[in-house]
Amino acid sequence: MTSTTQNALSTKIGRRSFLKMAAIAGAFGATSSFASENVTRPATAEEVKNPFPGSKEVKTICTACSVGCGITAEVQNGVWVRQEVAQDHPISLGGHCCKGADMIDMVRSEVRLKYPMVKEAGQWKRISWDTAYERISKKLNSLRETSGPDAVQFLGSAKMSSEQAYYFRKFAAFFGTNNTDHQARI
Amino acid sequence: MSSEMSRMKFYCDDDRCIECDGCSVACAEAHELPVGISRRKVVTLHEGIEGKEFSTSVACMHCTDAPCEQVCPVDCFYIREDGIVLHDKEVCIGCGYCLYACPFGAPQFPRDGAFGTKGAMDKCTMCAGGPLETNSVHERELYGQNRIAEGKVPVCASMCSTKALLVGDSENIATVYRARVASKGKGVQTAPFGWSKAYGQ
Amino acid sequence: MANTWGYGAMTNSLGDIQNSKAIIIFGANPAVNHPVGFQHFLKAKERNNSQLIVIDPRFTKTAAKADFYARIRPGTDVPFMYGMLNIIFKNGWEDKKYIDDRVYGMDEIKKEAAKWTPEKVADVTGVSAEQLMQITKVYAKSTPGTLIWAMGLTQHSVGTSNTRLAPILQLSLGNMGVEGGGTNILRGHDNVQGATDMGCLADTLPGYYGLSSGSWKYFAKSWGVDYEWLAGRFKSKDWMSKKGFSLARWYAGVLGGKPGEDKIHNAGTNLKALFVMGNGITSIAQQAKVKEALDNLELIVLADPFVNEAAILTDKKDDIFLLPAATQFETSGTVVATNRTAQWRYQVVEPMYESKPDQDIMFEFAKRLGFYKEYTKAMLMRDNKTEFKWPEDATNEIARIIKTIGLTGWTADRLKKHTDNWHMFDEVSLRGSGPMKDEYYGLPWPCWTETHGGSTVLYDINRSVKEGGMGFRNRFGMEHNGTDLLAGKSSAPKGSSNPNGYPEINAKNIEAVLGITLTADEKAKIGKNWKVDTSNIIAEKCMKAGIAPYGNARARAIVWTFPDQIPMHREPLHSPRTDLVKKYPSFEKDKENHFRVDTKYGTLQSSKDWAKEFPINLVTARLVNLNGAGMENRASKYLAALTPEMFCDIHPDLANNHGIRNGGMMTIHSPEGTHITVKAKFSFSVSPDRIFIPFHFAGVFQGRDLKSHYPDGTAPYATGESANTVTNYGYDIITQIPETKGGLCRIEKA
Repeated sequence: MTSTTQNALSTKIGRRSFLKMAAIAGAFGATSSFASENVTRPATAEEVKNPFPGSKEVKTICTACSVGCGITAEVQNGVWVRQEVAQDHPISLGGHCCKGADMIDMVRSEVRLKYPMVKEAGQWKRISWDTAYERISKKLNSLRETSGPDAVQFLGSAKMSSEQAYYFRKFAAFFGTNNTDHQARI
Repeated sequence: MSSEMSRMKFYCDDDRCIECDGCSVACAEAHELPVGISRRKVVTLHEGIEGKEFSTSVACMHCTDAPCEQVCPVDCFYIREDGIVLHDKEVCIGCGYCLYACPFGAPQFPRDGAFGTKGAMDKCTMCAGGPLETNSVHERELYGQNRIAEGKVPVCASMCSTKALLVGDSENIATVYRARVASKGKGVQTAPFGWSKAYGQ
Repeated sequence: MANTWGYGAMTNSLGDIQNSKAIIIFGANPAVNHPVGFQHFLKAKERNNSQLIVIDPRFTKTAAKADFYARIRPGTDVPFMYGMLNIIFKNGWEDKKYIDDRVYGMDEIKKEAAKWTPEKVADVTGVSAEQLMQITKVYAKSTPGTLIWAMGLTQHSVGTSNTRLAPILQLSLGNMGVEGGGTNILRGHDNVQGATDMGCLADTLPGYYGLSSGSWKYFAKSWGVDYEWLAGRFKSKDWMSKKGFSLARWYAGVLGGKPGEDKIHNAGTNLKALFVMGNGITSIAQQAKVKEALDNLELIVLADPFVNEAAILTDKKDDIFLLPAATQFETSGTVVATNRTAQWRYQVVEPMYESKPDQDIMFEFAKRLGFYKEYTKAMLMRDNKTEFKWPEDATNEIARIIKTIGLTGWTADRLKKHTDNWHMFDEVSLRGSGPMKDEYYGLPWPCWTETHGGSTVLYDINRSVKEGGMGFRNRFGMEHNGTDLLAGKSSAPKGSSNPNGYPEINAKNIEAVLGITLTADEKAKIGKNWKVDTSNIIAEKCMKAGIAPYGNARARAIVWTFPDQIPMHREPLHSPRTDLVKKYPSFEKDKENHFRVDTKYGTLQSSKDWAKEFPINLVTARLVNLNGAGMENRASKYLAALTPEMFCDIHPDLANNHGIRNGGMMTIHSPEGTHITVKAKFSFSVSPDRIFIPFHFAGVFQGRDLKSHYPDGTAPYATGESANTVTNYGYDIITQIPETKGGLCRIEKA
């Protein structure tokens, strides 16, 4: 999260110099035109003015498809305020499709699930995490006792990090079943 | 603005455009546009027909002799020295006359929100904001980001998935495109390399 | 693929596609599904005059950029590829030396290919003989050529045959293990490669170790737990080694025993609870069955950042739990791109609202289920810690244990360094420079040791092993039917101490194969073989000797353990060509206990003249603005606005013959007895014998709007009928991937 290399880099190319609007690096491959001296001049005070003072840039990776495009997230006071351009990423070269260009919405979408819920008598009800953990664990334990561990199906995800996917598989193993799978099989 | 610059332009290389809508969504997201406003739109013609289908991305073309500016009854348009065509939403009356004049369908008319203040017209600013104080909250609310003032490339082209969409002063666009044409059939552009560090030798 | 040469993964990289002289794409649409990756295809065309060939049932956005496009009938890729091989062998365009040195069983392929004359192929595939010859000539003569595929090739009852014949085609032309060549499978979700490598699967432990007792013992030991204790967690040791239910057919585990349902074999019980994390199960085939299964469960737990639409689909009234999981931007960890490149996904912000990262949810459940200490112990073992740090200690745990695909070099520190320095890598070769010199971006596996730089082109013998070179894996024994399975003379990777074929390395043969002598100390520490050698002595010695730890063998065209030893054409279970079903029937016998459920093949295919009642081919695929079940993307107003409703691409001729208007509603009926009603969109991208529907919608089921099922404020911006309500029954006989790309339907005006 505290990635100093990229912070330094982005600050250098982002704000200290005014790009004479060089078009995008496209034709020049990994050599970003940002780096080219002749298209820059020192920025004026007004130009340097940052709409998000004190923000920092975090390098991360798009969660849409398997190309693995780089994302530069601009974060101010713990809030992801803007999606910046990962121009120097060796696979995506700053490019995004519409899904990637909108990754910030994964975090800030208004229709996210905000708290644990349970359906009871056909109605959704807000519950605490503790209640959720308690009720689910109790049921899983009792099913394990009465019907055996194979009464439970686990479905993990290709949307998880590798560490999470590994720990998901391990979870099923420790629960005592091979009834576990993910989206590789669709 | 520096006077030795040529004018700022967009160019879309339709050999490369694949209608992924990266540009239009990047634009909407960056400027937090209301849904239903397309400052930029990808158009595909002859869809599904072999040898004919092609796509291109269109927004305000920032005309040198901008028809919108000429027909505006309240004179809300202004053209920066670098060629970017902007307008003052606090002067605009939202009559839609610019839409008649525009050859590209660029002007948009939001229904509500800050963007639609008094029914004002909205269009691509080439990420250069508007007449209000640069990078102020007020400017961002009415016009979206002012990336140009930050020394950043407009978001649509910088996020184009295949680098079809180019933006910049026209000389630079020409340079990029010329290099692209010149590289045709000339082989892969990859860095030379050596391999020595690991395991001695 | 893994059954051909050892690993089932993309062999080259996206940037490397720029080196191709020809690109042939079967059942993939990168312009829509991998748009940013597609820039490398376009650059290959532009700079390298690469010929882009697209074989697809519909004229896609990728086809729009192609030099050659062939409209193939769904489910006939095997005949098409045999047709190509027929022409290649007939004209002597194959790479004879390559085949002699590095391939086993090509003669059998040659025999089968001889049967597939261009005229016969034309009849079966719908692609004219002239076009087949033109495409074959261009592809065979423009080397290196890369072969691309995705779900269009895998999602068939013969998916495994497809994904075996494609590598064979590449082998015949010597296109494997070269820059600009390879079989480049484009993965779907961002971490399909990673999650698959991690064995988040019903048929293996992490790292493709399988489920044998030996593998369980290795993992128990590596996890620091007693094997007997772990076995005690299962119903019995027997069940430890049996494949579980898969994502494709888990619902059968609930419905088993009901009239008309396939029989199940699940330790004497039905499935009673479902625990889902990050999986939009509204995008799997047989939605009506999925719904019925959900309705019959006792407990449903759905952990996702958005409402998992399984909760919407079901009419179950109680005990459905929705847990707000954090997105990947609210935690950190490794993500593996389609080319086996690992990247470190840094955390951007703290989890929003009350959401929690997946691992925290799993840890809490482990505590309450009573196995937390054992579950997390392995993260402490490497450095004898008392507390672990997530995810770094998990990353290092994985690096310590998984040798099969060479993850030893994937320590958290190295992966972070790569992401921090992504600007130091070349886009085509992925080679680093400056401080990152001698490493490929993201250390594509196998990354044999903590100083190895990764392997960007698999099976490349023109590079030394330390540079990422290797031959094919020695995975299928030393000989078959008297033929040596090791690689031929002088076909070892550059700089190898052993210039010929050699077996996989173990403690017994290491001295002989590498020509070294181990010290007594090394002999005491070394593991039994390269797959379980946590001492890393085998890998380190191999690197010095230029030897690939997994051996140097031949790729095989014959898989003697499969029902079809060489790929054979078999018509889809629901084929529009009843005449061809008789000639090329599916497997005669149903498959018993396939991932715990009996699965139908020939009996279903021959039970009816399906084409008579359902004459139209049904093709499903992705849209650019949505992925998977679409629940994430439909929660974005901008993405939802691009395709606000479910639709069907239909040729005007077909539509008008049924009185369907452009923009009007049409109903699609499936052989399953299900139906959906969607908006018709006239399009020339499909021919009049087939229709196309996207599979990202949910929230409407057979005409019933389920909007009222969403908790307040969580409904996505777009809902619609799920395409998978009408996809047909049919599963691959090896992997159980559903046949969503080769089904039938009947249409009418709604």
